[in-house]
This record gives sequence, structure tokens and C-alpha cells, in this order.
Amino acid sequence: MKPLSPPLPKDWQLTPPWTAKHLLIGIALLALLALTGSRLEMPRMITEIGEAIGYSVGLTEKSPVATGLARIGHSIFPIQIAEVTEISRIENFDRNHLPLFARIEIQETKTAHLNTDTLQMETGVEKKAVLVEPLGYLKIVLVKMVETLEIALWATVLSILLSIPLAYYAASNYSPNKLTYFLSRSSISLLRSVPELITALFLVLAFGFGPIAGVLALALHAAGFLGKFYAEDIENADRKPQQSLEAIGAGKLKTLWYGVLPQVMPQYVAYNLYILDRNVRMATVIGLVGAGGIGQELKGRFDMFHFGHVGTILVVIFITVLLLDQFSARTRKKLL
Amino acid sequence: MLKFHSVSKRYDDGTQALSEVHLDIPQGQFCVLLGSSGAGKSTLLYMVNGLVTPTTGQVEIGGKALNRANMKSIRRTVGMVHQQFNLTPRLSVAMNVLSGALPFVSYLRAAAMWYPRVLRERACKLLAEVGLSPEHLTRRVSELSGGQMQRVGIARAFMLEPQVLLADEPVASLDPRVSRDIMVLLRDEAKRRGTTVVCSLHQPELAVEFADRIIALKGGKLIFDGTPEQLVAAGLDSIYQNNESKPAPSHSVPHVTPQMLEALA
Repeated sequence: MKPLSPPLPKDWQLTPPWTAKHLLIGIALLALLALTGSRLEMPRMITEIGEAIGYSVGLTEKSPVATGLARIGHSIFPIQIAEVTEISRIENFDRNHLPLFARIEIQETKTAHLNTDTLQMETGVEKKAVLVEPLGYLKIVLVKMVETLEIALWATVLSILLSIPLAYYAASNYSPNKLTYFLSRSSISLLRSVPELITALFLVLAFGFGPIAGVLALALHAAGFLGKFYAEDIENADRKPQQSLEAIGAGKLKTLWYGVLPQVMPQYVAYNLYILDRNVRMATVIGLVGAGGIGQELKGRFDMFHFGHVGTILVVIFITVLLLDQFSARTRKKLL
Repeated sequence: MLKFHSVSKRYDDGTQALSEVHLDIPQGQFCVLLGSSGAGKSTLLYMVNGLVTPTTGQVEIGGKALNRANMKSIRRTVGMVHQQFNLTPRLSVAMNVLSGALPFVSYLRAAAMWYPRVLRERACKLLAEVGLSPEHLTRRVSELSGGQMQRVGIARAFMLEPQVLLADEPVASLDPRVSRDIMVLLRDEAKRRGTTVVCSLHQPELAVEFADRIIALKGGKLIFDGTPEQLVAAGLDSIYQNNESKPAPSHSVPHVTPQMLEALA
């Protein structure tokens, strides 16, 4: 390459888009990551994952992680779909009118009991008549899942209703004064800052076990989320249509309805669908603290080590979330 | 009809947008404001419906001085057409036009988007007058061309049956041919109803063709007030002199004849 002739004046010089400062910041960030990583046992995580992978392809002789996972897998599969109930425990049992597809089986269980005469443990075989419903447990789980969806739906509706006034007062260009703006902004932050699970814990204390606590916990959190995003969209909406309506004295509410809402509608629909999606997933979780839905069933079965049942629940949740994704994608396409 | 009593405006950042402007615009007059960007045209326009309050002086509409108390009722008598049309893009053409009558509708009707029969009929009649067809009614505004959007904008402005119509550079974002059509429409609609129009423009040739009266501003001061003929006689250089934003065709404008414009179109 030949140098330019005549050479360019000195002030025409290109420098790289980064400087020593950027490099220093990068190094500092790496150092911070290394420090926190060692506190969180990240090296152990990496070696154990490596061991597990090695074990699964036959390179490593033992790996506690891999064997643990395998044990969980074995206990979950096959998943438990049938419901088995001891007939003696069913009230008003009628042998001639069995539920659909149900059959009666005799189950033998080995029992051990102490013989009081010999003071020896004796094993015996106990025979019990049980009612087997082949799809019984699946049905129970599906009913619970429907309840979960209902919780999510109601939570979404309530959160939308709650967030509309919040958003109006939290939009700086519509809020009547600074006080209302400040109050609604801070309540939005408050609602958003408390995780659903914690709210649900307290609400279960107040309303008792069941879906009320779940609906309210989800609705309050989502109202904070929606309020914040609605308000920001109102603030960022194109001013021009609003100006033209203000200029003829249409008033704030009508201006909002005609000048802002049509503009922000696509985003609002997207937020609401996201909230519905999120609420369904969260509704499965808050059941863990007794706030109704499928989570309550999950927690119960998990605590009783009924991992086959847990498997069924997980499969149902997975399929529901999958279907919901499809549903929201289609709705979004249609509405926009 | 529309009077400006020595109005001045100084913005918070210290710009003197208008100083001591006296104007008396009679009913039904088509008034065009000329002047380069920053001359104070928009400030003068916005004072009529209170979007800008004068620092000193007073604006009077139909014998009533504009103040905070009667602002709402006065705004209902002043229609407005905007440079960027200022329509709501995702709303239908019909709803955009109807929204021009929002001050007259109850909250319930406004929310349900169901207007009284009189207003619905008025909207349809206006849309027919501005040259749109029934199939445009349910179309979204964003699907229209620029010229059609401004037609919707004009229809919306007349929904109020205004005494005064303000047009803020209504054709600045349209091509010359469409601009002329829109000006024809604006003038005809206003003349038919006897509406007073104050219209700011960047095209002196359109001003000369359509205005009853031309008012020129420069640096916030009134520098010309007269008929188009008087402006042609005086020459345009005085309005746009020493200004970077001088419009390109202005030097030839005093000699533009309607025949030449026909040829252009």
C-alpha cells in the first residue's frame, strides 16, 4: 500500500471505537464474575456436569448427579394415570354401577406386623379389593388444571381492571397533579416488587386455602406490571392526534379514548396475552403455598413421594403451556 | 370576527415569537399567513384556540375575548387542520371524522363509539363532499394516501361547524398537484359555510391564488397585510429576504400566473 500523496492533514485520523477505558471495564467485569463464581461454587457445578455427561457416555465411572437424575426419572416414569382406590374406603359403594371404564381388582400387599405372643415380626399377605379407574388420576389432574386456568383468567381480568386507573394516573401527561402521579407510580412499584408467591403466602393466611388467595395474589402483581407498561405507552404515544383533539376541547378522557388507545392497542393486547400466559404458569406455582389450582395437588403428591403422579401433573402443565403459546400467537395475529 | 389586539408572545426560552400584532379578520375571509419558518405563523394560529397564550395582548373571537374561563366553549367553535393531518392512524376514517365532534358527545356515547344520528349523517355528508367514497368509511386512516388523509382532516375539522378554521400549513407534506386540490377543497368548503379561515402556507403561489387577504410575518412582526394583487405588486423578496429557509421557487413567484399553474398540474 502506497502512502497517500499528498498526505492528509493531521486531524483526519480514525481511531478504534474502543479505548483503554473499555478494556479496563471489561477486565473488571470478568474479575467480578470470577469472584462471585467462586462464592457460588460455580467450578463444582462445571465439574459435576462434566462428570454427568462423561458418565452418560461411559467415560466416567461414577457421577452422583447422573445417578440422582436417573433415580428421579425412574420414579416419575411411567407416569401415574390410573386412580386406584380401596373399595372399603368408598362411601355408598355400588358394585353394579361402576364409573365408566372402571374395574374391580384384588390387590395383594405384603404386610409386616408384630405377633404379640411370640414377639416376632410376621409377614403376611393382605388382600384388598380396589377400584381401578384407568384414566381416573388424569381426570383429577385435568380438573385441577382447569381450575388453574380459571384462576389465571380471573387474575388477568382483575389485573386489567385494576391497572387501567393506575395507568391513567401514572401517565405523566394525563395525571391530574404530581401527587396522584407519585401515588400511583409508587403503588405500581410496590405491587411489582412483591413476588406473587409471597403475596399468596399472606393471602392464604387471610382468605384460607383455595383459589381466592391465588387469584388476588396474581392479579395484584400483574396489575403493577400492566399499570407500568400501559402508562409508559400512554406517555410515548404519538402526540399529534392528541393535540388535534385537545385543540377542539374534547377533554382528557375522550382524547385518551380516541387519540391514544387506538395507537397503543396492539401493545396492550400483547401485554395482556403475556400476562395471561405468565398467570397460567404462576398459577401452577402458587398452589405450592396452598392458593389453589394444580400446584396444591403437585405439592401434596411431591410430599408423599408419589413421583408417578407428579409426572402426570408435569406432563399436563407442559401440554397446557404449549397449547397456550399457540393460542396467544394466533390471537395476536388476528387482533393486530 | 377574529381580532388580535397587539398580541406578543415570548416563549420561556426567550424567543420573541410575536411582537405587537394587530389584526382584524372579518367573517368569511380566507386569510393566508406567509413567512419563513420561525416567523411566528404557528404561534399566531395557536393563539386563536388557546394552544398558545399571548404574553401580552388579547385575542377576540366573535366579540368575546379568549380567556381561561371560556376557553373550552371557544375551542368548540374553532376547527383545525394540521400539517401532519394529526389523525389517529389505527382508527377508521369514519371514527376519525366523528371524533371531530367529540366535545358535543356524552362520555357514554364517546366510549361506545356510537354517535347521535345527526352527527353520523353530518360525517357522511362531509366525507362525500371532500371526495371520499362509502368504502373508505371503515378503512383505517393509515391505509390512505397523504391527500386522502388531509381530506379526512378537513372533514373532521368541519364536524364542529366552526366559525373559524385554522389551517397550519395544510399542504406542506403533499405534492404540488394534490396541494392545489386540497386548497380548492378548503376554500370551497369554507366559502359555502361562510367560515373564516386562517391558513399558514409555505407556498406563495398558492397564497396568491386562493387568499382573499395575505398577511406576512417576519421575525414576529407584521410586514405585509393586503390583497394578493398588492403582494404581487410589492414583490416577495421583502418577506423572505435574508433568510436561510427561503423557499426555492420564491424568486419566480411574483410572475407566476394561473396559466402557468395549470400547465404544472
